Amino acid sequence: MWYHKPVINEELLQSLPNLKILASSGVGIDHLDLKLLSSYGVKLSNTPFIVSTDTADMGMALMLASSRRLVEGYQMAVSPDTEYFPADWLGDELSGATLGIVGMGTIGYKVAKRAKAFEMKILYHNRNQRNKEEESAVGAIYCKKIDDLLQQSDFVLLSVNLTPQTHKLIGKRELELMKPTATLINISRGLVVDQGALVEALQNKVIKAAALDVTYPEPLPRDHPLLKLKNVIITPHIGSATKKTRRLMMENMIESIQAGLTGLPIPNEIL
Amino acid sequence: MSKKVQAIYLWWHKPVVGQELLQSLPILKVIANSGVAMDHLDLKLVASFGVKMANAPRAVSSSTADTGMALLLASARRLVEGYHIAISSGMEYCEADFLGVEVTGATLGITGLGRIGYKIALRANTFEMNILYHNRTRREEQEEQAVGTTYCEKIDNLLQQADFVMVVVSLTPQTHKLIGKRELELMKPTATLINISRGAAIDQEALVTALQTGVIRAAALDVTYPEPRPRDHALLKLKNVIITPHLGIKTHKATYMITEEAAENLLAALNGLPIPNEVLPS
Repeated sequence: MWYHKPVINEELLQSLPNLKILASSGVGIDHLDLKLLSSYGVKLSNTPFIVSTDTADMGMALMLASSRRLVEGYQMAVSPDTEYFPADWLGDELSGATLGIVGMGTIGYKVAKRAKAFEMKILYHNRNQRNKEEESAVGAIYCKKIDDLLQQSDFVLLSVNLTPQTHKLIGKRELELMKPTATLINISRGLVVDQGALVEALQNKVIKAAALDVTYPEPLPRDHPLLKLKNVIITPHIGSATKKTRRLMMENMIESIQAGLTGLPIPNEIL
Repeated sequence: MSKKVQAIYLWWHKPVVGQELLQSLPILKVIANSGVAMDHLDLKLVASFGVKMANAPRAVSSSTADTGMALLLASARRLVEGYHIAISSGMEYCEADFLGVEVTGATLGITGLGRIGYKIALRANTFEMNILYHNRTRREEQEEQAVGTTYCEKIDNLLQQADFVMVVVSLTPQTHKLIGKRELELMKPTATLINISRGAAIDQEALVTALQTGVIRAAALDVTYPEPRPRDHALLKLKNVIITPHLGIKTHKATYMITEEAAENLLAALNGLPIPNEVLPS
């Protein structure tokens, strides 16, 4: 299964009586009905850890590009109308700024590790607190309430799974808790954010900017307001899009499929 | 007015300091530069008028190192291209075959391990990059180990092994066109060149050819020569090039810190005290 295609529903499962294993690419499984699959006796696997470093790298890439206005800068640098670069055209620095990581799983933790080297202060919110050693290794401070994280952060990075609990985790209320100078970065799933509320927040300067590798749907309709806002960077879900990682994902998926077909224990099985 | 000017604070190379200006300012004591690079000043000429010079080396390092990493990541992951695909009207999405290259675990070659280069190494280290460096002089072993970097006495070794080559040198007669046809051809065809030093450190025409013929994969340049480049220059049109308008220190914080550093230098000079960051003609 690649990029959520084909769509797995009752019809498809009924038409494939011998289907034994479904290997899904990437770590997210929010697009699948697990109960439905198991009712048909179909086993499921994903590719969890392989995507983490590339996705963490993408989070950093977006945070840097947004804070330093890289895309705008590029447009200025190549535009046929540019005569000079204005001296008062400025971005924001990462060093000394506060990064709030929502979702400190494998990916979130890797972001923290990287952000520490950029001299950032790191807060995190997670279902469970990490242990002391893990926290001090990246200098991360736990925020039991997400509100505390939102109020103090200059950059809020979302790296949660999409579950019923995280659906629209960031809505109007959360955006209003954020600083007006803050930037929202999303490398998880589009549905973790209330997109309508986000558009309004960006238009009314409730927050400063957003950088999104994921939206709902993907791609967005071509007339969607998010595509037109100057303070938004959108990338086409390329969090794990590197040659090496894609190759490894494929290898993993084949392993899982082979195990599934021969009745052996399946690596990365989702139960 | 000109008889009263004792100090000049240079912002983005303005005003242009030449013979005429220096002659018209008889009591000028000091010129403080905003930033670390002094290649736009004729140090000997200024000194011959008895005027002291200072730069602002500390304030620029974090923000310039960040720019280097921002460009490295943006180029590797094809961020700008991706953005254009994501917002373009009417274009069919083709997600599955849009691929970039990995940053974590890749080899970074830093040419010029000064303050800025060192901060880049600190950052790249957390991306588990294999870091090589080439410098006029070798750093202490402890410093090397702290950022996990290996010295390459010959720049050729660095160029042949690096997936990303980051140019972070001062511009001097020795580093002028440091990266030319020969150096580009030593690089891997899958490699990316990043320049955050000065446009003139790279032979731009050789770079254009190398990019057009696949000698290297891509380039990301915060600096060009001149700035801005003529609007019809080939560099501006290549898909595998990201150019940014000299963002290096363009943050509110850096600008503030640079001005503070410069003010320190100016006040010291005007009070006849030792100047913290004096630059002497070598």
